[in-house]
Amino acid sequence: MPSFKRISTLHAPRLTFNMMESKGSSCFSVIDQDSCKDEMILKSRRLFQVAGFASKAAPKLTDVLIVGGGPAGLTLAAAIQTSPHLAGLSTTLVDAGDLKTKVAGFYDNPPSKFTNRVISLTSQSKRFLEETVGVRLMEERVQAFDGIYVTDGCSNGKLEMERESMGSMVEILNIQSSVLARINELNAENLEIIDKAKVVEIQSSDLLKPGSWPIVSLDNGQTFKTRLLIGCDGFNSPVRKFSHIESRGWFYNRFGVVATMKLDSSPFKIRGWQKFLPTGPIAHLPLPDDNATLVWSTTEPLSKLLLDITPEQFTLLVNAAFVLDDADMKYYYEQLHKGSITTQELKDDIKFRTEQVLATMNEDAFMDEIFPPTVTSVEEKSRARFPLKLSHADTYVSERVALVGDAAHTTHPLAGQGLNMGQGDVESLVKALEKGIQRGQDIGSLLALEPYWSERYPYNNMLLGVVDKLHKVYSTDFGPIVAARTLGLNLIDKLGPLKDTMMRTVSGPSRHD
Amino acid sequence: MINLWVNGGRIAAWVGRSAFRSFIRQQSSGASSTASSAEEILHFGQLAPTWWDVRGPQRILHKMNLVRMDFVREVVLSQLKVGSETFIPGYNYHDMVSKPISQAIEKQISQDLQAKLSEKRLELLDVGCGGGIFAECAARLPYVSKVLGIDVTPECVEVAKAHSKLDPQLKDKLEYKMESLEKVPGQYDIVTCFEMLEHVDEPAAILRHAWQKVKPDGILVLSTINRGPLSWFTTIFVAENLLGLVPRGTHHLDKYINSAEISQWFQDEYPAAHKLLECKGTMYIPAKGWILHDQTDVGNYFMAFKKLA
Repeated sequence: MPSFKRISTLHAPRLTFNMMESKGSSCFSVIDQDSCKDEMILKSRRLFQVAGFASKAAPKLTDVLIVGGGPAGLTLAAAIQTSPHLAGLSTTLVDAGDLKTKVAGFYDNPPSKFTNRVISLTSQSKRFLEETVGVRLMEERVQAFDGIYVTDGCSNGKLEMERESMGSMVEILNIQSSVLARINELNAENLEIIDKAKVVEIQSSDLLKPGSWPIVSLDNGQTFKTRLLIGCDGFNSPVRKFSHIESRGWFYNRFGVVATMKLDSSPFKIRGWQKFLPTGPIAHLPLPDDNATLVWSTTEPLSKLLLDITPEQFTLLVNAAFVLDDADMKYYYEQLHKGSITTQELKDDIKFRTEQVLATMNEDAFMDEIFPPTVTSVEEKSRARFPLKLSHADTYVSERVALVGDAAHTTHPLAGQGLNMGQGDVESLVKALEKGIQRGQDIGSLLALEPYWSERYPYNNMLLGVVDKLHKVYSTDFGPIVAARTLGLNLIDKLGPLKDTMMRTVSGPSRHD
Repeated sequence: MINLWVNGGRIAAWVGRSAFRSFIRQQSSGASSTASSAEEILHFGQLAPTWWDVRGPQRILHKMNLVRMDFVREVVLSQLKVGSETFIPGYNYHDMVSKPISQAIEKQISQDLQAKLSEKRLELLDVGCGGGIFAECAARLPYVSKVLGIDVTPECVEVAKAHSKLDPQLKDKLEYKMESLEKVPGQYDIVTCFEMLEHVDEPAAILRHAWQKVKPDGILVLSTINRGPLSWFTTIFVAENLLGLVPRGTHHLDKYINSAEISQWFQDEYPAAHKLLECKGTMYIPAKGWILHDQTDVGNYFMAFKKLA
């Protein structure tokens, strides 16, 4: 019987976690507050003027400058140019990556294999992208799923959510390149996309006038003076730092491990599978045909181990994690960490224990109803990891600045809401800008931007909170909490209306509502 | 508290008399000056520096400007006719056809009106522009080609001019002058007097001059406050004294004018030459902002008159 003690060596010394250790606590705070705030703003804005490029040429005027060409930034640019009210705004999007050839090329020459950055797009986000913005995703690379089967790794608690087209698994590159294709199709003369360019400096054109336009300098020598600066520039948002908006949150001390997987056959029932292990949830999500994607949230040492072991060992562990007890898994982690088990021994042991589990099941429980399809291999180089954290900016808007997506909030991936929250932000911001234009407002003014933040903040805050509580409730194997959460999960499973409300909240209203 | 309440009662008691009498008196005095009193000019001069701070003392006015813009848009749209190529059912399609179809009809009508609106090039005169909160927004509208804002408080005009320089879009569309209304030459498609009649000594004279500046088929849009206990309670007692939402000394109850008095004045002065297009009450709801409603004889209100050709 593998005991809990075996794993303890893995848990004991926490490996260095750069971003966190540097702050010396589990909380981070991007900008320190000062009693003399105005002076601080001046100071920090000067500090932010990174030494380097200072173009002598007069800055180019633009109405909207979007920093960041991720899904949120690109969708926003396309939505602005699609809107009859906003298409007249001169819009500039800046991204450090290679959008025009590498990302856009994905649409024209898609690789045969699936990439590893896959997200779940809710039906609401998908409708916004397709119907409002006019994007045509590469449908052959999108997999709609009709439900998700959630289990507790420490008990027999389960929650079976079934809903037709509850969401779709989409590669982030699919979204980015499809939106770029839409932008190409629009051929908007008011939209300029500048890729392979980094923002090196953001400064206020007149520090003494709060409503003056920010000036943004790029490393290619271009400078822009913008009416509205929108930060779609991720967790470490330079735009947020410039605007002096504080972001609060904490690291979960967990990593998400992703991988693209091949299955033994195309599943009959297309749904997601999520099991809450004490180290974090493991999610097995469908892609077209016999492909699937994995998001395994786990501790830092374990995430490292999962990346270090061979693809074959990794495949065995993924299959085992959904069937076997946590105690068995801990034993395998320990053996793999010490290198004291061969792949063949691992394979045989897992096979033996899995057969034991299946033998105990009563006859009418179909195996493919409660366990995900078997993984046969993982794509080479598709394994990667990233730190999990929660962060929320105090506000999303200030004079001439708006924050969208990860620049405003980041969340644990267990509910698959991160990218969808960003899409919701874009939809709401576009609505606020349209209203502002119809009212003749300066769309960079705080008054025009306030409705966006007052609509989105409470909703995002609720989601961040719920996801955070779920993470905390499920990251323990303490008996009474396991009992309580099992009762809760089973109760939700049997209370139809409550389950419907939950599904509506995470995936948006269905077509029948 | 009791003292204030007694004052309120007293104010309510003489409300009916002095103000309305002065409104009538100004009608008879006719062609007198449109100038505001020296006290009013001084008061607004002191407010000028914080005029554009949307989190400052004028926040509620900035918020109110949003409904002004909505009201003006609604009135201008109501004067446009849908093109012959757009189908408008001759029955109540909201109730009689399914939702997707009625929504599609609505969408087509609104797109058609939107297209018609964007072809317009209207000239607008804003009387009593203050720091330019309305005039700037009006100048940004694509269907407005030119805006002239006038005010008699020099500090406000300076603030308005300085602020308009922040936005290059306004450069050739927006002009401000420190001038009294009667000296403005020409006529305009739209003349606006927002939150202004309650600050002048002779509102009837202002109305007469403003009306003369409206082109035939043009529109006069105005907003002010009904004279009544509720207006005193909300605009003076709560907004100025209790919550400080509005700077103290901004309002004087005896200068408020009822919407019915304005309608009557137009009926008396220009019986066949005007048409009341729209009259809407407006109120401030904390945490929601200003809303438009149909109770036009209480509190703040908007009116739009069309000059019949």
